[in-house]
Amino acid sequence: MRLIAHAITPAPRPRVAVRGLRGRPLEWLESAGLGIWSTRWDTAEPLAREDVLDHHRVIEGICAATPCLPVRFGTAFADAAAARATLDRRSDALRDALARVSGRSEIAVTLLWREPSGDSAPRPPVDDAAGTGRRFLEERQARWSASDARRRQAAELVERLVATLAVEPALVRHEICSSERVAVSLAVLSPTDQAPDQIASLRRFLAGLSDVTGVVNGPWPPYTFAGIDESGGVSAGSATRLPGWPPA
Amino acid sequence: MSVQPLAPSDASLLELVDRLLNKGVVLIGEATISVAGVDLIYLGLNLVLSSVDALERPRGGPAGGGGSSGGGAPRT
Repeated sequence: MRLIAHAITPAPRPRVAVRGLRGRPLEWLESAGLGIWSTRWDTAEPLAREDVLDHHRVIEGICAATPCLPVRFGTAFADAAAARATLDRRSDALRDALARVSGRSEIAVTLLWREPSGDSAPRPPVDDAAGTGRRFLEERQARWSASDARRRQAAELVERLVATLAVEPALVRHEICSSERVAVSLAVLSPTDQAPDQIASLRRFLAGLSDVTGVVNGPWPPYTFAGIDESGGVSAGSATRLPGWPPA
Repeated sequence: MSVQPLAPSDASLLELVDRLLNKGVVLIGEATISVAGVDLIYLGLNLVLSSVDALERPRGGPAGGGGSSGGGAPRT
């Protein structure tokens, strides 16, 4: 039997109106002024895809009741002692992170290019008389130019998004051009009571964009902002991934 | 597995799955585990290529969108 971790919250145990994975009881283990929420799990029982989204449901329920640090899906402890040892070892960093996200939720913004990469960028005329080597170099240069143009455009979109949000830069994390279709993937940590207004403001902003289509999601638990300094990492001996996985 | 265009509705699910699998507190060293035989690093894509409807299908129903096979493709 193992414990699949969902979230870390301050002690004492708050009352939460949610059950664990697949409706099983949610367990609370406390140490160092913190508590870790988990679902007891048979080591022989495989996780399913549905459990990933169920993990989100559990975290949302916990975060609705108290400041909460989501734990990355797939983290399991061998027993209660291992879970408590983790809290003990990283209590300072975990408390700092909890203070950072307290009263805040995450809003996600994704901007997708309306046209495939390269179609909007000017291409140099191809010289039919040029050799294959020169043609290759010219085409590669054209691709790079198009890529640079898109990165500049995406960076400008981020600046406009941040200006729309009117928040400290430290409360925004983003990636640009992370794939062919994604122009911007951005997360903002917003005061939970202001999140609906922020979302409405973002949707108004996105409605005015022509080269990208935008999606706003949330408010979500503060997944992107739950990271802690990993220099005080926990040894694999106190917390493990579920044993035997991936299955042979 | 063919690469499929990313629709806005897919983007929402992809963003969420990316957070569940790649963000949040890391309490242990990096390791890859499987869910339903799919490495977590590929699971996000497989979830996206399934429809939300398939994800919400009652447990025990047929799996959707390549959830039982490994491998992956670019996030496009």
